[in-house]
Amino acid sequence: MALLAPAFVVLMATTTFPLLYLIWTSAYRIDLAMPFTNGYIGFENYRNVIGDHRFWSSLVVSLIYTATTVLFQVVIGLAFAIFVLSIRRFQAIFRVVAILPVVLSPAVVGMVWRTFMLAPEFGVVDYLAISAGIGSRNWLGDPTLALISVVVIHTWQWTPFAFMVLLASLASLPEDIYEAARLDRANSWGRFTRITLPLLRPAIVMVVIMRTMVALTAFAAIFTVTGGGPGTATEILNLYAYRKSFTELSFGYGSALAVALLIVTVLVSALLFALRRAR
Amino acid sequence: MLTCYNNIPDVLTIRDEPRNRERHVMDASTLTRRALLKSGAAGAGIVAAPCIIRRAHAQDADLEPYTSAKIDWRQAAGEAITVAVIPASYFDNLIALASQFQALTGINVRFEKIPPAQIRQKSVIDLTSKTGTYATHAADPMYFALYGANKWVEPLDPLLQDASLTDKSWFKIDDIVPAWRSANTIEGKLLGMPYDGEVTLQVLRKDLYEAKGLKPADDLDKFVANAAAVHNPESRVWGAALRGVAGAGQNVYIYSSIFREFGGDWFKGGKLTVNGTEAEAALNWYVDVMRKYAPVAAQNWNWPDIADAFSQGTVAAYIDAHSSASVINNPDKSKVIGKISFARWPKGPSGKRITSIWNWGFPINGALPEKRKKATWLFIQWAASAETQARTAHRFAGPAKRSGVNRTSFWRDPDYIKVVSGFGDNFVEATLESLQSDTDVDWRPRVPQWPAVGDTIATAIQSALVGQASAKVALDDAQKRIEPMMRG
Repeated sequence: MALLAPAFVVLMATTTFPLLYLIWTSAYRIDLAMPFTNGYIGFENYRNVIGDHRFWSSLVVSLIYTATTVLFQVVIGLAFAIFVLSIRRFQAIFRVVAILPVVLSPAVVGMVWRTFMLAPEFGVVDYLAISAGIGSRNWLGDPTLALISVVVIHTWQWTPFAFMVLLASLASLPEDIYEAARLDRANSWGRFTRITLPLLRPAIVMVVIMRTMVALTAFAAIFTVTGGGPGTATEILNLYAYRKSFTELSFGYGSALAVALLIVTVLVSALLFALRRAR
Repeated sequence: MLTCYNNIPDVLTIRDEPRNRERHVMDASTLTRRALLKSGAAGAGIVAAPCIIRRAHAQDADLEPYTSAKIDWRQAAGEAITVAVIPASYFDNLIALASQFQALTGINVRFEKIPPAQIRQKSVIDLTSKTGTYATHAADPMYFALYGANKWVEPLDPLLQDASLTDKSWFKIDDIVPAWRSANTIEGKLLGMPYDGEVTLQVLRKDLYEAKGLKPADDLDKFVANAAAVHNPESRVWGAALRGVAGAGQNVYIYSSIFREFGGDWFKGGKLTVNGTEAEAALNWYVDVMRKYAPVAAQNWNWPDIADAFSQGTVAAYIDAHSSASVINNPDKSKVIGKISFARWPKGPSGKRITSIWNWGFPINGALPEKRKKATWLFIQWAASAETQARTAHRFAGPAKRSGVNRTSFWRDPDYIKVVSGFGDNFVEATLESLQSDTDVDWRPRVPQWPAVGDTIATAIQSALVGQASAKVALDDAQKRIEPMMRG
């Protein structure tokens, strides 16, 4: 026990204390622009959050962002994993190439996409779009396209994670079941839906849970690519809380938004864990 | 965050010692991580060398122009202060002279470079936590109302009046651009000393305008007509560009001038107002120019992007800071040198031309102990003095000359004019006339809530620009959000 104490203290100091401090802050009005109004206000920040339509719209953006990125990551990651497992040569190269986006910092990824890929007239994506006859598009300037762009960027960066996990699980599936299925003349779609998916279910659920928690709290890539813009089209809840705290300098209200995000994340995760146990 | 003493990128910014630069860059790049870890001190020594060299050669610099001031420059000797600035050539020039300040005063000054996007937040966090990390910092004039409301910084007037600290006849505060001083004055108290500033001008491609027989626009309608005349995207020339990216210091920076030129009043009936017919007209004008004549990408551009595009010859006109002239005249990058002309803002329907009164000012952190406040004031007095302004501008040894000097008298000094008139036709005249006639202290609403208000206006402008909402809807929504911020 005594040996654990230092680690325990460090953990408390770096995780639990800031969290409690955040909750405590959220019960105060701390507005640097009007210091004379500061003080304890109980749940008023939360009442304001409920009535703040920008909170709801950023929550909706967060949920859309999370649902689409996680779905794409799992579907594309699984497809890639099955493909890579089926080829005999160059598997190792695929694995190395696939892991590259994951090791990049999201802020760097954001900058690269913003300047090299998506810039109208100059970016790679825009060049491809023009060549394909779609024409030049303002990828980050149009509200819908901007949301699609940030979803694509997140998916691009984190699909390899799903890919690696699912590839490892796929490789460990017992071969004899497939042989039995082949003898029973199950076609490949049947083998996929009746054998592969059920056996992979624990791995898929784990990927979904982990990626959901990360997507709900995503920040750096969107911050560097669009800053929540144009307007508020890509303003996820995390970004709104940041803006309230550090741009508008309303730390109390910003903390309340951060706590709201925490509650949403915990609820969604609890739901997913419950689903995992359900069957 | 870059400091002079321990960071490699700073080596790259040294302009006046090319040979040293090459050598140190090589040293830095051949150092492996392990070698650096093994011999931390030695490694740091190599990297810090340019600073030492700079100090050595500055020691001989003539301090006589400073010692002629009737104050004791050494009264705070032994103090150490940290100054936060942004990475920009006009501050690099000042950093290059830091050793002269140290020789003059015995005060140790350390610079920390923080990118413009973060310097506001970092300094606010430093001020609010009262740690006194930054004795002074390059401050956004729009933040002085906030600083003043929280009493985070020292009013400078008592220091200016104190004969033991300031020699008034030597410092000549009246020579410092009046509009910038009033931008940094809250409730009659000067809170930040302007170091470098700017006015906004029309920057035009002389050759394209002459080919069509066009004159620089005198009013906003003519500006649009000119843009339409030279607009030719097929041959990759767009008519005009303005700052598009959202931010209190980005799209709002340009929009505020347009708003005021259309007769907008930020404090209609004593209440902060961002909507209304003038605001809608101004925003529609801005959206119209941007949608019809600017490259689509400009919706995400800040001024450096616009200046780059102009340098490449793809933008025929823009309205932005006069200091961007040094970017579009950079021989390494610009293809339009010698084809540039300048003009004052086009007049708006109200008959007024409204320029930016932006400047980087130095405040004094109120959390400092008394003696360090004095040391900081001596630094500010030194940096803002005519002598240092000249040594960082036309008398600077390196190639990057400042055009944002804080002294009105320089614009009549033949030596200075000779250096800056090379930026293009009418540059000196347009800048001086703008400084004298087009400044407006209510260019942007100076309230403590500015960080929140500015961000809200920025979002509204961008929503209208990208078609997420009409100008009216966007501005009415912004007004609805701003009202509770002001009520407290």
